[in-house]
Amino acid sequence: MNSGGLGELIAVQAASTYSRDRCVTGIHGLDEILRGGIPYGSTVLASGTCGSGKTTLGMEFLVRGALAGEACAHFTATEPSVKLLENIRQYAFFDMNMVDTGLINVFDMDVLYSWLGLDKSTFDLDDVHALIKSITDIVNTIGVTRLVIDSVTTLCYKIKSEQLIRDFLFTLGKKLATLGCTTILISEITSATENAHWSSFGVEEAIADGIVVMGDVERMGHLLRFLQVVKMRGTAHSRAKHAIELTPLGVMLTPMLKWGAQSDKASRWGA
Amino acid sequence: MMFELDQRIAEQLSTISLNSSVQVRCGNSNAFMVTASTMLPLMQMFEMGGVYISASRGAVEIIQAFESIGVDVSNIQFIDLVSSGILGGTDVNYPNIHFVDSPIMLESVLLRTLYILRTTNTQRNFVFLDSVNALAIYNEDRMLAEYLHTFINTFRQREVLSVILNVPDQTPPLVLSNLDLYCTDLVDRGQVVIH
Amino acid sequence: MRKNITFDQEDEDFFGQVGSFGVPKFDNEMHGGVPRGFTMVAFTETGSGAELFAKQFISPAEESENTLYISTNEAQPEIVRVFNKYGWPLDVNVRTIGEEYNANVLEKELLASRYRLEGFRLEDIQRLAQTRFVEDSTQDYLTEVTNEIMALGPYFRAGIDSLDFFLQRDDPGRVVAMIRMLQAHTQMYRGLLLIMVSVNGLPASVRQELSSIADMVLTFGVRTIGSDFETSMIVSKFRNAPENLKMLVFRVTPEEGITPETVERIA
Ligand SMILES: Nc1ncnc2c1ncn2[C@@H]1O[C@H](COP(=O)(O)OP(=O)(O)O)[C@@H](O)[C@H]1O
Ligand SMILES: [Mg+2]
Repeated sequence: MNSGGLGELIAVQAASTYSRDRCVTGIHGLDEILRGGIPYGSTVLASGTCGSGKTTLGMEFLVRGALAGEACAHFTATEPSVKLLENIRQYAFFDMNMVDTGLINVFDMDVLYSWLGLDKSTFDLDDVHALIKSITDIVNTIGVTRLVIDSVTTLCYKIKSEQLIRDFLFTLGKKLATLGCTTILISEITSATENAHWSSFGVEEAIADGIVVMGDVERMGHLLRFLQVVKMRGTAHSRAKHAIELTPLGVMLTPMLKWGAQSDKASRWGA
Repeated sequence: MMFELDQRIAEQLSTISLNSSVQVRCGNSNAFMVTASTMLPLMQMFEMGGVYISASRGAVEIIQAFESIGVDVSNIQFIDLVSSGILGGTDVNYPNIHFVDSPIMLESVLLRTLYILRTTNTQRNFVFLDSVNALAIYNEDRMLAEYLHTFINTFRQREVLSVILNVPDQTPPLVLSNLDLYCTDLVDRGQVVIH
Repeated sequence: MRKNITFDQEDEDFFGQVGSFGVPKFDNEMHGGVPRGFTMVAFTETGSGAELFAKQFISPAEESENTLYISTNEAQPEIVRVFNKYGWPLDVNVRTIGEEYNANVLEKELLASRYRLEGFRLEDIQRLAQTRFVEDSTQDYLTEVTNEIMALGPYFRAGIDSLDFFLQRDDPGRVVAMIRMLQAHTQMYRGLLLIMVSVNGLPASVRQELSSIADMVLTFGVRTIGSDFETSMIVSKFRNAPENLKMLVFRVTPEEGITPETVERIA
C-alpha cells in the first residue's frame, strides 16, 4: 500500500456504481444463481471442506469488487498472508497491484490479535468486543464494502461459549450491515453432505443471512467440486448443486447433472 | 494412403448458423474421414476457431492423424478425456491439449470448454464432441442424455456451434433419441453394418 | 578442540593468580581471593544480602570495559544508587534485562489498551495491512546473555543476578547447557564469573547440575535469632582447596558492605 492509497479509495468508493440493492459478486455463474447478486450488507457463510475452493472464491469476490473500484478487506487466519498471496497470485484473475495500491487490504489475524493483546487461547466478552470494534473500525475508516474473514472457524474455537459465538456473529453482522459492507465468513467443515452441519459450531448458520456450501461429490472414484446456495435472505435463488472449476480466470459454475449429483449407489450404473 | 474428403458435408455445413447443433453420424471405419470432412470446412472455409473434445482417443493421436493428411490444428484447443487415465498420458508436447481427469467428469468438460472459449480470440467458434458413443461407455444413460441437453443449450445460447459425433449403433437408445431431439441438423454418414 | 590463548606475562603479573571477591575479609578467608578461571554459583535465600554481594563482586573491576554485570531484577537507577553509596566505579558494563523485558511487555500492553479503547486510526490500519508477521516479543535473552559473556576477553569479570529469570522462561536443560559453555569460556580466558540462583523453587536436579559445573559453590542464608537476623554464607565447594570450605556469618555495614564477622570451619 503506498501512501495515500487508502485515502484515494474513499473517494473512489463514493463514486462507485453500486446503488442497487445487490452486491454483484462478479463471479461467473454465481450472480445468476442468486438472481442478481448478494443482497447488500448481507453476511454470508461460505462453508466448505478442505480444498473445496473457499479461499479462492473469497478472494475472487474481492477482486471483482476491486475491479469495480470498491474497497475490500481480507482477514486471513487459516494461512499467513504471505502464503495466501503467494498462492493466489498463481491465478490470472488476481492482480498484486490491488494489494499494493490498497484496493484489497489483506490483514493477518495473528497480527491483529497481537496488536489487541489477544495472544491467548480463550477470548472473553471484552476480547470479543475489542475484535468486533477493530474490524468495524477498519471497515468504517477505509470504507470497505466487501469483506472476507477466512476463516471464522479458528476464531470461534477461541470463544468458548456458544452464546458468545452467537453474540459475536450477530453483533458483527449487524454493524457491518449498517456500514453497507457485504461479508463472506468462511467456515471450515469436515463434511458437506446433506445431513451435516453447515458450520462448525451450529450457531453460525442460524445467524448468517446466507449460506453457501462447497464440497466434493464423488462420482465413480472421482471428486467433482460443487457449490450450493442453501439459504439467502432477501432473494429467490437456485438451491441446486452446481459444479465448479477453479480456472485462472476465476471460479466457473454450471448446474450439476441431476443424475450425477448423488454420490450414493442409487445413482450409479444399472440402478 | 489416398484420403478423400466428403465434399457434400461442406456443402451441407454452409447452410447452418452459429447457434445450430449438428449431429454427425458415422461408422467405426469412416470416423476420421467424416471428422476431417467436417472440421476442415469449419476451420478453412468458415475461418472458425474452436474446441475439440476427445473422448474416443487421446488428443495426440487425433492431432497426428490431422498432421498426416497435412492439416495444421494448432489453433484448435483439445480437451483430452482419456489420457489422464493412463500413466504418463498427460506428458505431451502440445500446448493446445488440456486434460480432464475422466470422461465421467462431464461438468468439468463443459466448464473447461467455456473457460477455453473465454480465452480464445477467434470471433466464431465451434465445439466438436468426439464422441457420444465414447462417453456412453463411461456414463449412465440418463445422465448422458441430461448432459447433452445442457451441453447443446449452453453453446446455442452463446452462439457457439456444437458438432456432436456419434456412432449410432453403439449409442444407447435413450441417449440417441434425446440427441435426435436436441440437435437442429443431421449429417448422416452412418454405415450400414452387414452381419 | 582447544583454542590456545597466549597470555601476556605483563598481564599475568598485573592480574595475578587470584582476583578479589570485592570483600577484603572474605579474600583473606579464601587465602587471597578467587582463582582466575573460576565459575562461582551462589544459591541464595531472600533477604540474605546476596544481591549486594553480587554487586560488590563486580566492584574491583580491574578493567572496567571487560567487566559486565547482568541484572534481571533491578533497574539502572537502583544499581547506580548502590554503587554510588559504596563509592564503587560506575564505568562498568551493566545490562538490566528485567527492565528491558518489562519495557517491551509494557509497551505492547499500553498500545493494545489504546487500540481497544480508542480504536484504529487510518495510519494504524495502513501499518496493520502492511504487517505480515507477529513481531517476536519473546526475545531470546538467554542466547543474548551467553553471547555477551562469550564476547568478553581474557581476565574478564562478570556477574549474573540472577539465573531465575532464565530458568522461569527457558527449558532448564538449555540454561544448564549455557552455564556449561560459560564455565569453559571462563576457564579458558581466566575470567571470573559469578552466577546467583535463588533456592526457592529450584529443582534439586538443576541445583545438582549447577553445583557440579561450578568451581566454587556458595550458599547465602538468613535466619532469625531472637529479634535479630543472622546472615551467613557457606562455601561448600572450592575446587582444589578443601581448606576453604567454611561458614561465615556476616553483617552489612555502610563502610564495607558485606562484612564477615565470624568463621566456622566445615568439618
Ligand atoms: N492455480 C490453480 N488453478 C486451479 N486450481 C488450483 C490452483 N491452485 C490451487 N488449486 C486447487 O485449489 C485447491 C485449494 O483451493 P482453496 O481455495 O485454497 O480451498 P479451501 O480454502 O477451501 O481450502 C487446491 O487443493 C487445488 O486443488
Ligand atoms: Mg482456505
